[in-house]
Amino acid sequence: MSNKFVRAIRADEIAPGGMKAVDLDGREIVVCNCGGAYYAVQRRCGHMNAPLELGTLDGIYLTCPMHCAQFDVTTGEALSGPVPPDPDHEALPPTLGAYMQNIGILMSHVRTESMRTYRTRLEAGWVEVG
Amino acid sequence: MNAESRKRSLQYFFEKVVGPLGFKFTPDVELKEFLLDQEVILEAKHGAPFCPCQPLRHDRTRDMKMVCPCIPFHREHFDAIKRCWCGLFVHKDVIDPNTLPQLDQKDVGHE
Amino acid sequence: MKPVSMYTLSTCPWCRKTKAFFTEHKIPFTFIDYDLADEATQSRISAEVDAAGATGFPYVKINDEVIAGYQPERYTKALGFSGGAK
Repeated sequence: MSNKFVRAIRADEIAPGGMKAVDLDGREIVVCNCGGAYYAVQRRCGHMNAPLELGTLDGIYLTCPMHCAQFDVTTGEALSGPVPPDPDHEALPPTLGAYMQNIGILMSHVRTESMRTYRTRLEAGWVEVG
Repeated sequence: MNAESRKRSLQYFFEKVVGPLGFKFTPDVELKEFLLDQEVILEAKHGAPFCPCQPLRHDRTRDMKMVCPCIPFHREHFDAIKRCWCGLFVHKDVIDPNTLPQLDQKDVGHE
Repeated sequence: MKPVSMYTLSTCPWCRKTKAFFTEHKIPFTFIDYDLADEATQSRISAEVDAAGATGFPYVKINDEVIAGYQPERYTKALGFSGGAK
């Protein structure tokens, strides 16, 4: 990782408890405002790549919108994996069912990886990411 | 996944739910840590932090009522005994949790 | 000696206390750790526990009496002896 910090977003563009996705030269990053402390994490969930800025941020804990994997944004650590779906919820059409079953088999090998985090600093009202 | 980190995050989330219901974590720290340890294990195994003292039925509708904190599904019972079933939570005014027996609902008032 | 049997969970500290109670009072008992049992056993226990209307475990049977929850005083009474309940 380089020592360079670049301007990511104006600090006041993210309300406390909020998140915003930014693209920094191809790096997809989500900036989180945890009660005035800013953290930057990779945008893609370590489970199935869902965009995390569409999830929820509670304190320092980010929940993915797709399957509810949870992360600590200060360390990037994955705290819990996806919440398993409910196969008994409703009957799926036969072909879709078979497709989903295949996907399920493939997904069972997927690990929820911890997230990359990036250094942040506040400089003249800007959140800078390094 | 680190069990300690998961415990701390569960504690953070649970506190916010049980507070408005009039409960707090048991002052018995050893019991609290043990029960949270079990819940982390149960979550890793079954997908949610289930109560360590209630049997899973493998029926989603029933089992979801045992996800911690399960207080809302046993409000009357737990308010009567001032604790939840496994004892992770007690009423806010409880100083000594050892004074609270683990009474089943039908035993309340007959002890 | 009245036969004592119980359903417990390996994750439950009150179940451990219950087993310890009977052990310390030298009362023989049988137990099944529900969470470690096979599906058929779990189904059977689940039905029985539901029929008794119990919230959870420990689930102790002393003769025909069912006691759910760690209740040493009731165990003492059901066993028919006086003695320090822990």
